[in-house]
Amino acid sequence: MTATTDPPAPSVPDAPTAAAGPDARAGDPAIEVRDLGIRYNLRLTRRTTIKSSLPSFFGRGEDAPRHFWALRHVSFRLEHGESLAVIGPNGAGKSTLLLALAGILEPTEGDIRTFGRVSTLLTLGAGFEQELSGRDNIDLVAAFLGIDHREMAAITPSIVEFADIGPFIDAPVKTYSTGMKARLGFAIATAITPDILLLDEVLGTGDQTFRARSQARVRELIEKAKAIVLVTHDLTFVSEFCNRALLVERGQIIREGAPAEIVKLYRDRVNELKLLAEAEAGRFALMPGG
Amino acid sequence: MTSTPSEALSPPRVPTNRQRPLALAAQGFRELLDRRRLIRYLVGADLKRTHADTIFGQLWWIIDPLLQMAVYVVLVSVIFQRATPDYPLFLFAAVLPWKWFSTTLNDATQSVVNRQSLIRQIQFPKIVLPMAAVTAGTVSFAIGLIALGIVYLFFLHRLTPWVLVIPIIAAVQYVFTLALGIALGALNAFYRDVSNVLRHVVRLWFYLSPGLWTLQGEHAFVPEGHWARPILLLNPFAHLFESYRSVTWGMGPPDWLALVVLLLLSLVLLAAAVALFKRVEPAFARIL
Repeated sequence: MTATTDPPAPSVPDAPTAAAGPDARAGDPAIEVRDLGIRYNLRLTRRTTIKSSLPSFFGRGEDAPRHFWALRHVSFRLEHGESLAVIGPNGAGKSTLLLALAGILEPTEGDIRTFGRVSTLLTLGAGFEQELSGRDNIDLVAAFLGIDHREMAAITPSIVEFADIGPFIDAPVKTYSTGMKARLGFAIATAITPDILLLDEVLGTGDQTFRARSQARVRELIEKAKAIVLVTHDLTFVSEFCNRALLVERGQIIREGAPAEIVKLYRDRVNELKLLAEAEAGRFALMPGG
Repeated sequence: MTSTPSEALSPPRVPTNRQRPLALAAQGFRELLDRRRLIRYLVGADLKRTHADTIFGQLWWIIDPLLQMAVYVVLVSVIFQRATPDYPLFLFAAVLPWKWFSTTLNDATQSVVNRQSLIRQIQFPKIVLPMAAVTAGTVSFAIGLIALGIVYLFFLHRLTPWVLVIPIIAAVQYVFTLALGIALGALNAFYRDVSNVLRHVVRLWFYLSPGLWTLQGEHAFVPEGHWARPILLLNPFAHLFESYRSVTWGMGPPDWLALVVLLLLSLVLLAAAVALFKRVEPAFARIL
């Protein structure tokens, strides 16, 4: 069970519920990912029509790659009380990993097992019906999320209060301003305390006051959740909130370890790549001294 | 705060492409049952959306089939001069069910694609989408029956108790439409051409079905013994339209045998469509 990947777990002071604590749950697995691979079929993505896929039948498209592995041979384990940061350059597969953990993408290879209710804050305002009132939309989004309607009825007042849109809650959503929609979406998305919280840097919505409140809410969720996976470019956030980190590049885990170590590694690699790119650019530039 | 302490990790997943069709179909039906509340909300939203921005609003459910009937009456009785007796009522047996079928099939075909942003953000059983589209159409059909009542005011001599059978015929049509809608909704996610082709196929389908004309009795457009008859009778809507017409035009009971056979075939088709949908469902989030 506790065989391979676990690092010596250097206890980070700010980490929620220290993994070494006497909590009976600590040490139980929250997420187990084994040899995960996600493959996209490039010929079917986005608005394919039969016409545009015809060339590949007639050989013209044959040298174009048909598949793309967004993630491959990814394995890790997350225990209760742990908070994992996933960092890496754009297009490394970070968001794909999050979608897979949320169950939105089905693994092409390997296995993902999760504990309890998984929630992602990707869902701000997704699924709103313009003609329905804010209140009806709360029910609708909850039904999409598979939340029991009795549970939802109990927390609806707190959602309405948090969204702070007053009497508009009974008006059709099409009459809302962008900010009101965002606030309602955020209030719904964060209303349920998940066992596993997946975050893809959605930390600022709305005006200044609401942003402060929403950040406080996210912090609260982070403290309550049993395990967290966070995708971010904000490296200071990583060291503040996470006790482990993964560096992902081109769909593979490069290194797993303590946040400070991984952040440093990532910075070094980014610098290295930048230097390489500059050197490359210099070689191709025709001007002397590039 | 936490619910059940004995919860363990979710069980290992069986890859969709290694599940058997029957298991997939069963899973799809279970999801439809489990998520009936979601389906209800979606149907409600759909009904609120339709005609929401028009002056007559929900009255269009009734006005629309009447206008459509008027167009066909002018076309056939004035231009082609081929009308059967009491032609407006004769037509209505086809106009109302066909409006239900064509709009519903179109909505179901688009249903998955229309929710693409949501599909990429929330994990939910996508099969509720075509189900909700088809079910919402049922409500509009039911309201449209008021229009039938209006037409009857002019043809009261044709009214018989057999009109009470309409819901049974409609149930058969519902299962048939649901099967097609689920299959097309899945296919359209991969090839958007489906919805373009569909529009024309549906129009041709109507003219090949006994809607403006009939296969029954003395007014049969294609007489008994004609070579084309057996082919035309392969069309499910040949039986659906003639059944509706029997009961509304005052010709007695529908063809029960045909309805039962059609219902059984539709149920088989539905199971196949659900299995197909479940089989390709994991790809939606990847390709949309």
